[in-house]
Amino acid sequence: MSLAQLLSHLRALPEMVLLAGACALMLVDLASKSETRRLSYLFAQGVLLIAFCATLFVLSESEGKRYYIFYGLFVSDLLSHVLKLFAFITVSAVLVYARPYLHERGLLKGEFLTLLLFALLGILVMISANSFLSLYLGLELLTLCLYALVALNRDSAASTEAAMKYFVLGALASGLLLYGMSMIYGATGSLLFTDIGPQTAALAASSSSMRTLLVFGLVFVVAGIAFKLGAVPFHMWIPDVYHGASTAVTLVIGTAPKLAAFAMALRLLVNGLPALAVDWQQMLVVLAVLSMALGNLAAIAQSNLKRMLAYSTISHMGFMLLGLLSGVVGGNRLNAVDAYGAAMFYTAVYVLMSLGAFGVLLLASRQGAECERLEDMKGMNRRDPWLAFLMLLMMFSLAGIPPMAGFYAKFAVISAVVQAGQLWLAVAAVAFSLVGAFYYLRVVKLMYFDDPAGVAVPAGGGSARWLLSVNGLALLALGLLPQGLMALCQAAIRSL
Amino acid sequence: MLETIVFYAFAAILLGAALRVITARNPVHAALALVLAFFTAAGIWLLLRAEFLAITLLLVYVGAVMVLFLFVVMMLDVNLERLREGFWKNLPMAVVVGGIMAFELVAMLASRHFGSATSTRVVPAGYSNTRELGRVLYTQYVYAFEIAAVILLVAIIAAIALTLRRRKDTKALDPALQLAARREERVRLVSMPAETER
Amino acid sequence: MKTLYLLVPLAPLAGAILAGLFGRALGRAGAHTVTILGVLVSFLASCWIFADVLEGNTFNGTVYTWLTSGGVTLEIGFLIDRLSALMMVVVTFVSLMVHVYTIGYMAEDPGYQRFFSYISLFTFSMLMLVMANNFLQLFFGWEAVGLVSYLLIGFWYTRPTAIHANLKAFLVNRVGDFGFILGIALVLAYFGSLDYAQVFAEAPALAAPVTLICLALFVGAMGKSAQFPLHVWLPDSMEGPTPISALIHAATMVTAGIFMVARMAPLYELSATARSVVLVIGGITALFMGLVALTQYDIKRVVAYSTLSQLGYMTVALGASAYSAAIFHLMTHAFFKAVLFLGAGSVIIALHHEQDMRRMGGLKAAMPVTYWTFLLGAISSAGIPGFAGFFSKDAIIEAARHATIPGAGFAYLCVLACVFVTAAYTFRMVFMAFHGAPRYDAHRPPHESPAVVTVPLVLLAIPSVLAGWLVGRFLPVDSAWDFVVHGLVSLPFWLALAGIAAAAILYRRPSSLPKRIAMRLGPLYAVVERKYGFDELYAWLFGAGARVLGTGLWKAGDQTFIDGLMVNGSARVVGWFSGIVRLAQTGILNTYAFLMLFGILAGVTWVIWRFWS
Repeated sequence: MSLAQLLSHLRALPEMVLLAGACALMLVDLASKSETRRLSYLFAQGVLLIAFCATLFVLSESEGKRYYIFYGLFVSDLLSHVLKLFAFITVSAVLVYARPYLHERGLLKGEFLTLLLFALLGILVMISANSFLSLYLGLELLTLCLYALVALNRDSAASTEAAMKYFVLGALASGLLLYGMSMIYGATGSLLFTDIGPQTAALAASSSSMRTLLVFGLVFVVAGIAFKLGAVPFHMWIPDVYHGASTAVTLVIGTAPKLAAFAMALRLLVNGLPALAVDWQQMLVVLAVLSMALGNLAAIAQSNLKRMLAYSTISHMGFMLLGLLSGVVGGNRLNAVDAYGAAMFYTAVYVLMSLGAFGVLLLASRQGAECERLEDMKGMNRRDPWLAFLMLLMMFSLAGIPPMAGFYAKFAVISAVVQAGQLWLAVAAVAFSLVGAFYYLRVVKLMYFDDPAGVAVPAGGGSARWLLSVNGLALLALGLLPQGLMALCQAAIRSL
Repeated sequence: MLETIVFYAFAAILLGAALRVITARNPVHAALALVLAFFTAAGIWLLLRAEFLAITLLLVYVGAVMVLFLFVVMMLDVNLERLREGFWKNLPMAVVVGGIMAFELVAMLASRHFGSATSTRVVPAGYSNTRELGRVLYTQYVYAFEIAAVILLVAIIAAIALTLRRRKDTKALDPALQLAARREERVRLVSMPAETER
Repeated sequence: MKTLYLLVPLAPLAGAILAGLFGRALGRAGAHTVTILGVLVSFLASCWIFADVLEGNTFNGTVYTWLTSGGVTLEIGFLIDRLSALMMVVVTFVSLMVHVYTIGYMAEDPGYQRFFSYISLFTFSMLMLVMANNFLQLFFGWEAVGLVSYLLIGFWYTRPTAIHANLKAFLVNRVGDFGFILGIALVLAYFGSLDYAQVFAEAPALAAPVTLICLALFVGAMGKSAQFPLHVWLPDSMEGPTPISALIHAATMVTAGIFMVARMAPLYELSATARSVVLVIGGITALFMGLVALTQYDIKRVVAYSTLSQLGYMTVALGASAYSAAIFHLMTHAFFKAVLFLGAGSVIIALHHEQDMRRMGGLKAAMPVTYWTFLLGAISSAGIPGFAGFFSKDAIIEAARHATIPGAGFAYLCVLACVFVTAAYTFRMVFMAFHGAPRYDAHRPPHESPAVVTVPLVLLAIPSVLAGWLVGRFLPVDSAWDFVVHGLVSLPFWLALAGIAAAAILYRRPSSLPKRIAMRLGPLYAVVERKYGFDELYAWLFGAGARVLGTGLWKAGDQTFIDGLMVNGSARVVGWFSGIVRLAQTGILNTYAFLMLFGILAGVTWVIWRFWS
């Protein structure tokens, strides 16, 4: 292997940095004796920073071109760079938010940090996957870490149960996904998306029975994606896991993996199986409508805030699917950049909103006084006006009220749907958003118009508070000036 | 012709054994049925000339995993039957759904596309299944191989993190601590005025 | 230059945000300092821009694209030409004066910071409206100034009359806004764009219903600029603090309608019908609202009706295609009306919130500065040659005389008659308030207002005298001087003098003459005094009518349909649905796995079904 070939593998530099960093973290953690795990924490943040810079380096070096390395198993394009940058920022924020919470409960162990970094590695692998194999392995790496993270709070029966459910259902979903992949592999004889794309197009055109076989495999693949996204009817794990896991771990599950799930859907469906777009778009329509309906309606009935946010996740992922399903109209991809760009924008904004909402819960929670029921939000404005205001921003954004970023994200997706000619879907989306606005605004009402219940607990401060402010104001700023992020997303989609 | 007969025999045994795994009331029987299922699966792989994989399956799953599992079952005296209480209750529904699904799968897959079970490609003389596998594993699939390694590492970390428990009341000794102890930490000399008896 | 354009609206916005959100931290002095600083910066930048525009540098471009949807781009952009630059200067100057004046006027009010925040916010909104280069931004500014206006009319929200006036303004403006939105929607539907330049360029060629668009937009202008018959809200809006009356309900916001029609001049030029309507409405408003001013005793209401009348003048000018004359009058009116309002406010504070002119009189000696500035404003308002009001008013009358479209003759007669009426009611006010014997409470003698009140008065009085000379280019004759000389021998001048004389005879000294005239006129006077009964008509027509309709709808629609079917029904559906969801979300793993497999089964069945059919 020549030097140039060797150097070409540097396009996986962020992954390498992260892997080395995660392994080193295990050793560093041995030296970190204090309860606050200051050294390990700083080391982890340092690794994230270096990996972030490495991604920027790879990005600038690639000059907007696409490269395949590791015999085509790994793709390096603008989409992967952008999503990776988002993922680094997200996980870094997760660390900042989760640290005081975990520390107070004695859960801040080296394993949390290590597993989090390995989970991130799984996300990166999924984002850069160009083959069934690398995608599946990345997925397993990610979910294995998540199972362990949920179970990490060993003394909590709820957490253990949630981890068990997550594990069993996740294994089932993995099986389904693998089955679908094997079906498509059997038909096309390749694992690489770059080969599968033209192969499926040729096969699907050759005979209708062949096409049916491919669609048959597609059903299982879509089921795997739907499980990861949490779309109805593959959503059952979400409420239980969100509720059962400690809030810090819920924060982990509810944010960065959504980026991975989005990348997974994009790589599998848009990169790998564009020839079957007509078929998977119909499947996504069903998933999207069911998710929006069930997510929004069920959220209203919840009294637990984490559970409510879990159902809200389901509805938001349904909304995001609307963008994914309106890219190809009548066989041409004219609408693709707008639609997939809107979906990507939606995902990024959703991750930001989810970070903020769970961040507020973490900050408002204290030892012995978890902030996770709706009643806990009562009179928040009286106790901590700024935190209440930030929560208000998050809720407005989640509900899609202008000028928050959530509004623009919804708007972009809906206009993509309308451009695709699916008017009734757009109407349904708007209707369900209106239903959804109810339970978000109820939180605002509780915070501002109800009297505080129980003992007033002072909310935490420090870096988490600062970052949370930045987070909330970023949502406002993105709502007012969305063009930059939107242009970035669309450029990333164009690189597909 | 002979190959086909052997294949169907193995396939029948495999299905029967798999069914036994989930229906057997005695956990040891179930585990043994699973061993049988692995054996026949390895046999089918041999028919497909995947010798290395067949041997690995036997060595790893039958030789290590299942034996370990049997030990656990026997030593812990787990009442699997109680764990599977819902099984018989849900069976009718499961049979219906499973039946429909199996029917559909057969309807789909009995088509012309997976016609030949055996490879028709002619294998050159001196072809080593194991060597080819190794070569591909460390070249073409090195990336996947590395990630698989990381997954194993994570599994180790997770297993330790979830199961390692230091008991608070343990009486175990820590030699390092004992050796590091110094006199000042153990003995305190207190000077007191002498007390005389009157 | 673009930065400078941005600075103009953003500086007041920053002031408003600071005073609004951090008002308590800033304190009173801090709040007025930041807002005044913001408006001052804005004013200086506007002057700079105006000078730049006079040199011929105009600008039309997008500053920021908010979103693009189906080929229509929604963006924020500025159109800087003579019209908008002039408006910017007027708006920021009057706003600056009002800010300063407010320090004195609101000194004892608990909502001090809130007030400053509102008026700065208003300035921002008005500037956005004026500088817009597209309909969307125009609409944003339009609604934003309306919003601040409602907030400010109801500023003293504990007074029931203020709340009532607030509601009235809101409702009447809804009617206008309905037309406005309709107009914008028609523009979007026929032109596929909201950009001024594009719409104007395509308008002559396209077979769009221009008349309909113009009329719909004019309904919006009627609401905002309080033209007959949507004028009823403006007199009541005087419930707000006086600086607001000066800033919003005289000088700036109410002229937004005039500005908008002037902006849309290329559209209106395509429809003579629309201009005829504009002309007639303007004529009616000018004359008949002026007559009402003659019968009122509340000093602020007199000024308010005078504002209506002057707005009528501007509308006539618009109808006569004399857009520059309309804007010219808009500018001079902004100055002299601000003087009159702030002067009235000064009198009101001096008399401890007494607004009835029958309890004033003889204030000339006690309040010299207020008197002289008020007098200058009054002369300018009456249109005595040489003063600012004269130039613009004469330009309008000339334009109305030369107009040839249907309705021009009627409008000309109206504005001509109104010259007499204007002079009469203005000087009636001067004489009743400042001359004659004191009728106020002798135990609490009035004092001249503090410098923060009088300095703005003086500063505003200067342009209300001189503005006409500076803007000679708007006039149809060669030089301003010729115009003045010509004005001295023309009919309007003599009418104005006659009006002043009539006021002097009737009100210079207390006499029973006005009462006798009123008696003689009998029912006619009563009709005018009752403001032609529009309030009662609307109350009966819309109030009672709506109540009958509302009761019916409430019974049929609300109780059975909305409450019964929609609200309770949807609540029931949601409850039922979440019950089902809860049933499925058992927490038992088997159920979950089963549901997943069921999903797969559905998918596979779908594939097979499609394959076989």
